[in-house]
Amino acid sequence: MAELAIDRLTLRFGGLVVLDGVSFSVEAGELLALIGPNGAGKTSVFNCISGIYHGDGAIRFRGQDIRGKAPHQIARLGVARTFQHGELFPHMTVIENLLTGRHARIRTNPLAEMLFLPSVKREEVRQREAVERIIDFVELERYRHTPVGGLPFGTQKIIGFARALALEPAILLLDEPSAGLNREEREDLARFILRIKHELKIAMIWIEHDMQMVADLADRIHVLDYGRTLASGPAESVLKDERVVAAYLGTGKKT
Amino acid sequence: MSDRMPRASGYFRTGYAQEMALTKTRLERASLFVFVVLLLAFPYFASAFYLDLANQVFLAAIGALSLMLLTGYAGQVSLGHAGLLAAGAFTAGILYKEINAPIYLTIPAAAVTGAVLGVIFGLPSLRLRGLYLAVSTLALHFIVVYLGGEYETKRGFSTGITIDAPVIAGFRLYGGKIWYFILLTFAAGTLLICVNLLRSRTGRAWRAIHSHETVAEALGISIAGYKLLAFVISSAMAAVAGALFAYYRSFVSVEAFSLFLSIQYVAMIIIGGMGSLLGALLGAVFVTLFPYLIEAALMKLPNAQSYAGLLFAVNYAAFGVVMILFLVFEPQGLVGIWRRIQTYFLLWPFKHKPVAGARK
Repeated sequence: MAELAIDRLTLRFGGLVVLDGVSFSVEAGELLALIGPNGAGKTSVFNCISGIYHGDGAIRFRGQDIRGKAPHQIARLGVARTFQHGELFPHMTVIENLLTGRHARIRTNPLAEMLFLPSVKREEVRQREAVERIIDFVELERYRHTPVGGLPFGTQKIIGFARALALEPAILLLDEPSAGLNREEREDLARFILRIKHELKIAMIWIEHDMQMVADLADRIHVLDYGRTLASGPAESVLKDERVVAAYLGTGKKT
Repeated sequence: MSDRMPRASGYFRTGYAQEMALTKTRLERASLFVFVVLLLAFPYFASAFYLDLANQVFLAAIGALSLMLLTGYAGQVSLGHAGLLAAGAFTAGILYKEINAPIYLTIPAAAVTGAVLGVIFGLPSLRLRGLYLAVSTLALHFIVVYLGGEYETKRGFSTGITIDAPVIAGFRLYGGKIWYFILLTFAAGTLLICVNLLRSRTGRAWRAIHSHETVAEALGISIAGYKLLAFVISSAMAAVAGALFAYYRSFVSVEAFSLFLSIQYVAMIIIGGMGSLLGALLGAVFVTLFPYLIEAALMKLPNAQSYAGLLFAVNYAAFGVVMILFLVFEPQGLVGIWRRIQTYFLLWPFKHKPVAGARK
């Protein structure tokens, strides 16, 4: 069964059709790139999956329809996402940001927390160990205790990525993780994505504008244009598709 | 919460639990010990006047800490704090007058009243934000004060409810010294609860909601749940402070809970420094003592008696000026000043912070 299957997803804002019958699915350990020109509706797909927007059609997570659930309920099922601009909690340290990312995995109740009972302390230490493993994974050790607001943008993007990973998701939605990263940071990111795919077997949907990266890494590509599916399939064929080339680069012909 | 700069060399941590400890170095433990000893010794040296000042500070500290949780951490603006204090005070007063309830019942009852009111006036926060939310919390203040006033007139306590000194196991809780220790205990307890909440899941959720609601929700945090929880906990604490106030003053009256009191609490957390518990404490000390300082300063002037009538006006005006000065020149509040002094000594003889790893 597919980890996530989207069936004829349609989203309208008044008379504006943002998504028009978009269907795709992603398997465990699969890296699906979602590409398309600006305004194609890529982020809207993510917002529908994570419950921020409510569209028509079906969104099934491991066979269960999650449409209409609140965003925090969907996150608890194991759907994690990153945001285009990082959207970190600037006054919190890297560790605190990641611990917040693990919110859904922590089981302590506020009454016990008020007294910081030994059970709470044990749980916090356990969570901290889990967070340290992720910090180790994304190589952020030196920034551990630094409030993230003052860190370089590229580092912040990686922290946002790590925060999504902290949820121990079954599906990871990556919204332009490479935007604003320099060459070296992009290579690091590519390495992290491949390690997640091979070691953690997490299904990933990846919005990306760097076609070189997409061609190199993605298992499959799904192309959107004005809310419709333009093409879908393995990287080699999709990137050669005339309509995709036309939507992205334009054609010489006058229309 | 965590250290922004190494405070001491030679302390190596060997477990994550050590990083969660409230005091991390021997120096910190020693200074805390000295501070506690001074606090405990204070009533044996202080005059009744200074004892009363200290007690007022403790009461203000409980209120300021609870408002800091709500506004400084969870990001929910409230102008209803005086209403919650009033609710606590009236719960204690009414229970005492009507059924002669003992203090160990009235204080928890006040907390429950506060918690229930917290749910009610937390509900608008699910839809409203910022100034609009502040105005909706204002409504709570007027409702509580109105109900309190109705009770006073209907039962014939038109000047207020008097409460006799409570008795626990034959021991009468009366006098500044005893109340100093009671209020100190409650203030310290409130501080500890706040610190503990902030270093665990709930505190992180609040801070997350404060900076990015949508992102927090996408991480699995129930926005409605944690907003209401912030209102409930904060309101329960404020109501307890109100009940303690009633017992300490042996008197409850709606006049004590004016809108100006709410503004004073907001001032405490702004002057102290938003998003810092230490800021709440410093703000509580400052705002409580400020009128007395102004009075003392005014009395030093030549021909002091002739200004005595102006004291009230001067107090209000000076309070306003100080608020403006803080907002303009020190948005981080007293805690910002405190941190700067600390940094100065930590870095001495150097002037600038290291570039990487230890910003802010």
